[in-house]
Amino acid sequence: MNYPALWSNDVERRIRKKASNLDEQVSPKDVRFCRVCIISNQRPRIVFDADGVCSACRYAERKRSGIDWNKRENELRRVLDGVRDDGPYNVVVPCSGGKDSAFVAHTLKHKYGMRPLCATWAPLIYTDIGRRNFDSFVHSGFDVVTATPNGLMNRKMARLALEFYGDPFLPFIYGQLAWPMHVALRFGIRLIFAGENGEATYGGDTSANDLPSWDAAEWERIYMKGAGVRKLLGISVASEACSKEEGASQTSFHSLPSFDARQQAGLQFHWLGYYLPWHPQANFYHAAEHTGFEPNEARSEGTYSRYASLDDKLDGLHYWFGYLKFGLGRCTSDAAHEIRDGELTREEAAALVKRYDGERPTRHLAECLDYLGIDDAHLQMIENRFRASHLWNGQTLKHAVYDQVPSDRAA
Amino acid sequence: MIKFRLIARLDIRNERLIKTIRCEGVRVVGDPAEYARRYDAAGIDEIIYLDVVASLYGRNGLARLLDKTTSDVFTPITAGGGVRTVDDGMALLRAGADKIAVNTAAIRRPALITELAEKFGSQAVVVQIDAKRKGNGWEAYCEGARQATGRRVSDWCVEVAERGAGELFVTAIDREGVGTGFDTALASHVARANIPVVIAGGFNEPKHAIEAAQAGVSGIAIAGALHYSRVSLRDIRQALSAAGVPVRFAA
Repeated sequence: MNYPALWSNDVERRIRKKASNLDEQVSPKDVRFCRVCIISNQRPRIVFDADGVCSACRYAERKRSGIDWNKRENELRRVLDGVRDDGPYNVVVPCSGGKDSAFVAHTLKHKYGMRPLCATWAPLIYTDIGRRNFDSFVHSGFDVVTATPNGLMNRKMARLALEFYGDPFLPFIYGQLAWPMHVALRFGIRLIFAGENGEATYGGDTSANDLPSWDAAEWERIYMKGAGVRKLLGISVASEACSKEEGASQTSFHSLPSFDARQQAGLQFHWLGYYLPWHPQANFYHAAEHTGFEPNEARSEGTYSRYASLDDKLDGLHYWFGYLKFGLGRCTSDAAHEIRDGELTREEAAALVKRYDGERPTRHLAECLDYLGIDDAHLQMIENRFRASHLWNGQTLKHAVYDQVPSDRAA
Repeated sequence: MIKFRLIARLDIRNERLIKTIRCEGVRVVGDPAEYARRYDAAGIDEIIYLDVVASLYGRNGLARLLDKTTSDVFTPITAGGGVRTVDDGMALLRAGADKIAVNTAAIRRPALITELAEKFGSQAVVVQIDAKRKGNGWEAYCEGARQATGRRVSDWCVEVAERGAGELFVTAIDREGVGTGFDTALASHVARANIPVVIAGGFNEPKHAIEAAQAGVSGIAIAGALHYSRVSLRDIRQALSAAGVPVRFAA
């Protein structure tokens, strides 16, 4: 792939100067780990109760025993029946071709007789396995509308997101959420069905734990991480990385459709995970059997798993920066939810975290650096800027879960 | 004449029988001891227990499971997963295993193969190879098929035989749990090691057994097709026999 220069040397200087004056992120200074899983209170928006248990574990507990799933499934049928006669498509499913979205699309189509139109927001840089899984998914019988946003603008946003928010993945996250809403509005579809409510399932804002969906305003509040496309675009324009007009048109699919447009269309955004028990392991088997899904050829860097989040070459950096900012790497996230799903013990999880969590992603590093228009030295400077001082002694974590989980097996 | 062997493969995690797809996932099938007894009663030729995550967690818990199983299972048992030393191997043999299988530790320290062979004899040492297709050849993987090793299967299979392994247990990662038949090209490929080869990954119906026999292996491993009762040993043996492959018939 050829990646042309992002911008002039002047713009580059302005951005580096501005980014070097950032304030440190605010997160709780005392580091505590959930007593059931291994997540810490550093995870944004997560809540711990008086017993020291995180909101994600409490939610998992409730899903295991406190919910009448038959009743929920009846609710699901009612929601689906409400739009069943819309046509030619009656539901939009945000889809990457990964195991989770494939499960949602396949289940809605084949178990509940819906006519899904899948909306795919292309990864920043496809991996080979991600592209193959996407193609297999399409060939297993789905209609897909893919957005491939302006590559140069995407790169500018990724670079600015890295400099200012320590996460080059933000433009993907924005578009992944917004694009299905654009598709729904343009094709006159009223219902969008996504997989799980990530905030409830993995720990975060708990306001929608018992809701099937979020209203339009909540999305902006929760998901934009205090940044949002507009803020990023503001930095871009102020640094003359792009003109205002250019920026506005080239990020229109990254941005949520207007509140009014969503209200008028009666757009509803639901999570299948509210209606059915959500189980990533089971989704893997379902996708492998029905949509041709293949796990990666080796484990992803920073973790042990071969089947999660594997379609974008940039996502290694996304998780890596999460590790620097919060002390919580990719393995911690994977293992925490597998504890909640009953697939790992806390001791096993701690052993895995010790082994994999701090692994700097190098597999696609050279291409990522080209994509972001920087060299490795500059990346390391940014890394150090985002290492939270209350979490790090130089390059060593001050508080690690494996130092606290008492276990002779976690060797 | 040496009989073609049918081997029930039991992948173990936390003392539970699991079934993976392409060597990923931890879907629980049931109690391994119960399945072992079932296959023993049905007249399987061998059973292999593989603790697929032992190396991942750096532990070894198979001996306890073997203790529970071997009192009433008389089929020869191979056990592997997390064997790092001669003592680990001894623990498995004492718990009732007839052969020990080793992968990750042998990749890290190939001399282990020789140590095991000198102590227990080559007939008791099975080297397990998880093979991933790479271009025109295959690469060996370790740690439950999660970690590439940089070792080419073509070289590795010969090296382990020279170091004293008595048998190869070769899984085609791309076929495992998929049910589209064995990777017969891989089976022929590892025959160069000149020791018995058991091929694993892909069995779904009797004709797959015939294809494997014709590719020159001395046995096949079957997992999902047996666990989920998609096929009977009798049907496989009849098909093999009809194709001229010598098999042992259970009484």
